[in-house]
Amino acid sequence: MSNDIFFLAEFADGAPQRSALELAAGATELAAASGGNVVALAYGPGAGDGAAGLGAHGVARAIVLRDDAAPAITAGPAAVEAVRAASPLAVLAPATPNGRDLAAALVGLADLPAFGPVRAVRVVDGIVETEQATLQGSVVTTSRPVDGAPQPSVVLVLANTFTPTEAGSGTAEVSRAEASDHPFTLATIVESHPADAAVVNLEEATVIVAGGRGIGSAEGFGQLDELAAALGGAVGASRAAADAGWVPYQLQIGQTGKVVKPALYIGLGISGAIQHRVGMQTAEHVIAVNKDPDAPIGEFADLFVVGDLFQIVPKLTAEIRRRKG
Amino acid sequence: MKIVVCIKQVPATTAEKRYTDDLRLDRASAEAIINPLDEYAIEQALRLLDAGTVDEVGYLSMGPEQAGEALRRALAMGGESATLVTDPALAGADEWATAAVLAAALDKLAPDVALMGMASDDARGSLVPGAVAARRNLPLLSYGAELALADGQARIRRLSPTGFDWIAAPLPVVASVTDQVGEPRYASLKGIMAAKRKPLDTWSLADVGLSAEDLRSGALTRVTDARPPEAKPPTERIENVSADEAAAKIADWLAARKLV
Ligand SMILES: Cc1cc2nc3c(=O)[nH]c(=O)nc-3n(C[C@H](O)[C@H](O)[C@H](O)COP(=O)(O)OP(=O)(O)OC[C@H]3O[C@@H](n4cnc5c(N)ncnc54)[C@H](O)[C@@H]3O)c2cc1C
Repeated sequence: MSNDIFFLAEFADGAPQRSALELAAGATELAAASGGNVVALAYGPGAGDGAAGLGAHGVARAIVLRDDAAPAITAGPAAVEAVRAASPLAVLAPATPNGRDLAAALVGLADLPAFGPVRAVRVVDGIVETEQATLQGSVVTTSRPVDGAPQPSVVLVLANTFTPTEAGSGTAEVSRAEASDHPFTLATIVESHPADAAVVNLEEATVIVAGGRGIGSAEGFGQLDELAAALGGAVGASRAAADAGWVPYQLQIGQTGKVVKPALYIGLGISGAIQHRVGMQTAEHVIAVNKDPDAPIGEFADLFVVGDLFQIVPKLTAEIRRRKG
Repeated sequence: MKIVVCIKQVPATTAEKRYTDDLRLDRASAEAIINPLDEYAIEQALRLLDAGTVDEVGYLSMGPEQAGEALRRALAMGGESATLVTDPALAGADEWATAAVLAAALDKLAPDVALMGMASDDARGSLVPGAVAARRNLPLLSYGAELALADGQARIRRLSPTGFDWIAAPLPVVASVTDQVGEPRYASLKGIMAAKRKPLDTWSLADVGLSAEDLRSGALTRVTDARPPEAKPPTERIENVSADEAAAKIADWLAARKLV
């Protein structure tokens, strides 16, 4: 058993994803409290080439699980081998579909305690302690492993829980995990249909302008693009807008979409259903524009504007552009 | 070809929730429903049944005795039979223990596809499908917007960073689906009547070959504190003003917080 902190580091095209840099920062914080090292479990296309670069973010060692374009779960058996060999104090995983698949492989194959998705994690007197909002955010709980629970604790961490550190100059020592052949490795991508246009990763946006059913059409999202551009942000959506085909599902925020934590969220023509709310309620500032004075979003927004979005949004965009010069 | 859909009974999404003195969710206090995302898994299974791709759909749940109601409701939507694993030793089971129990029960039921919703309303870790696959030594196909079965293979359509992929694995598999598979059907009156006569087995922990010791009293984690979320500052409202004025006020509000 060690006091090391492991984290799952997803790569694409040889570059660590934002989640990997956030978790590197989180693992560094935890390792300072536990007195251990920070170790990355790297997976995804180009992970082998990019892993050493994690050293610039405080990572001592990187173990490459897999670095091809196969589904993330195929890296699960290698992750289990690496974790079994080192028995670290904790493994941090991003609370994304890929991160959850790998976390589940660890929990199921190595019988480990699982936490999350958490909005805070720390090491207190050598013990992992997490903080989680459950039951649609109605309760906040603090949890720990039971006494004598096996190590490590597997912790799913929400996006934007930790802030990536500026890149320094170190290099991580890179090794390759032993391959092992659980049937998890049998999943293969048989068809790939990327979109023609780039789709932003909403979890990385610090400003999100989200549209709902009230936007009324795909064209209607054009004015959201403009407001988002004026604010330096990205466009998101409710499920109703994604279901209608106005925006791709990658932009959906909520229980079955992305969980986002931007500095500013502006909801336009969104009623604020509980399933949407759980995806954005930890935004630092929430503004909503809705023509219904009784819309549920008015109960938890910081600023609630009652009015017609089609009248207000173009004026707001112009006003922001004017003030920015 | 047989699908077993795993379902969980949860407190109604909008119900008020309470914790008991030992910091467990007081499940008796809230109206109970089928976890809404599990209804999409049921719908996906029944669509494959309607299409003749599978010839049997069954259900499995782990929970207190009342969870039998959720299974009856699922049977009213369609399918043949249901199994409830219930045992006093399972109160407070965490995701690890839940996965262990479902995996053991699924080993007995031996479906071609063990199908689950992508998450549960009351926990949202989404770890159970993967942990069940891990224990059963089977491939995992998770977060499917659609499930297809052909030629000894299961395939799911899954969102990728910009578009979507089809991911395949040889049967049998453990799979999970999202709310994109199609809106769950309502149970018909006829379905509700028929469900009363469909077989619903109840198994204990021993029936699935596990003991309370195997499950370390049901959890590897414990809740040490439960509290209401921090109070938010009250909402500021802008209403009964012109669009120009509203836009200017929003811009002021943003500027005061250095957001522009
Ligand atoms: C299992 C499950 C999972 C779900 N997951 C998600 C999820 O991840 N994300 C999600 O968003 N939803 C999710 N939903 C759906 C959710 O319950 C709501 O149906 C959805 O969020 C509603 O979207 P909306 O607010 O855009 O539409 P509506 O609820 O129809 O609201 C539209 C709003 O627009 C306002 N409006 C209309 N015109 C104007 C105008 N001109 N100016 C100003 N305001 C206007 C209306 O007053 C109204 O408040 C889920 C549901 C289920 C059952």
